[in-house]
Amino acid sequence: MRGFEERDGLAVAELDDEERMVIARIVADVGLLLGGEQFGMDAPVGRDAGLDDADEIFKHLQGLEESLAEPDDPAVLSLLPSASRDDRDVADEFRRLTESDLRDLKVRRLQTMWEQLSEDGPEWEIRAEDALSTAAALTDVRLVLASRLKLETDEDADRLHGEIDLATHALDTDADDDLGIDPERVWLGMLYQALTWLQESLVQFSVATEDVRE
Amino acid sequence: MSTQEELEREGAVATRVDDAWVTIVWNDPVNLMSYVTHVFQRYFGFTRHEAEARMREVHENGKSVVSTGGREKMEVDVQAMHGYGLWATLQRSGE
Repeated sequence: MRGFEERDGLAVAELDDEERMVIARIVADVGLLLGGEQFGMDAPVGRDAGLDDADEIFKHLQGLEESLAEPDDPAVLSLLPSASRDDRDVADEFRRLTESDLRDLKVRRLQTMWEQLSEDGPEWEIRAEDALSTAAALTDVRLVLASRLKLETDEDADRLHGEIDLATHALDTDADDDLGIDPERVWLGMLYQALTWLQESLVQFSVATEDVRE
Repeated sequence: MSTQEELEREGAVATRVDDAWVTIVWNDPVNLMSYVTHVFQRYFGFTRHEAEARMREVHENGKSVVSTGGREKMEVDVQAMHGYGLWATLQRSGE
C-alpha cells in the first residue's frame, strides 16, 4: 500500500487487490449500516480470493445493518451523533430536520469511494476537489471501526497501537497462544491504522493543494 | 450583498439574548488533528493559525466553541460538522 501523493493534480494511492477488496467491503458495510442500498451486486473482487480470515472477520460486522429508527448502536450514533448532550428537545428537533440529509450525504460519499475501489488497477485516484469529501468518508469508516474497537478516549487509541505491535511481534515469533491475543481485534485494529494512514496522506494532499491555490 | 442598514438589523437580532447560540466541537479519539484543522479552515474560513488554535483547544480541553449566532445558523453549522464526522452540539450561549 502506498499513501496518497500528488500526481498530475490528482491524489493517487496504490493498493493491491486484497487491500482494495477489504477496504471496499468495509466501505459497503458502513453504507448498509447507514441504511443505504447494497453497493453493486458483489464485492469488487471475488469474495473467495483466498481471504478466509477476512470473511471470518466480516461475520462480526454483520450486526452493522440495523435500522436507524433506534440509533442505540454506538457505531450509528458516532456517524449521526446527538446535537445536544442534555437538551432532548434540541437533539430531537435537529435529528428530525437533518438526519435523512446527513445519511444520504454519507451513503453517497461511501458509494463513490466504493466505485473507485471497484475499478481495475492498483491506483486509487481522487480529484483535488473531491479530496476533502473522500477524507470525510474515510472518517465515517474509521468512526465505525473505532466504535467496534471500543476506542472512546485518546488513551484507548494509543493503547491500540501498543496492542497491535505486541500482537504482530507475538505472531512473528509464534508466541500468540500465551498472550491471549484476540485476532479479530488485531485485524480490525490494523485495518483502522491503515485507513488512518491513508486519510492522513489525503489530508496532506488537500492542504498542499489549497496552499498552492492561495 | 446586504445594505449597511440590513447588516445592523441582523447584528441587533443576533445579539439578542434569546438568539445567542453557540456551536461546540467535542474531542474524539478518531479524528486527525490535521483533518480537524483543515475542516475548520475550509468550512469556517479560519486562518490556519486560528483553525489550529481551535483544534488544539478541542484536543487539549475536550471542546471548543467554533461559531456563534442564531439557533438556525448553529443547526446548519452542527449539521456541517456531523457531515465531516466531527461531533458538534449547539446550545444557548452562556449555558
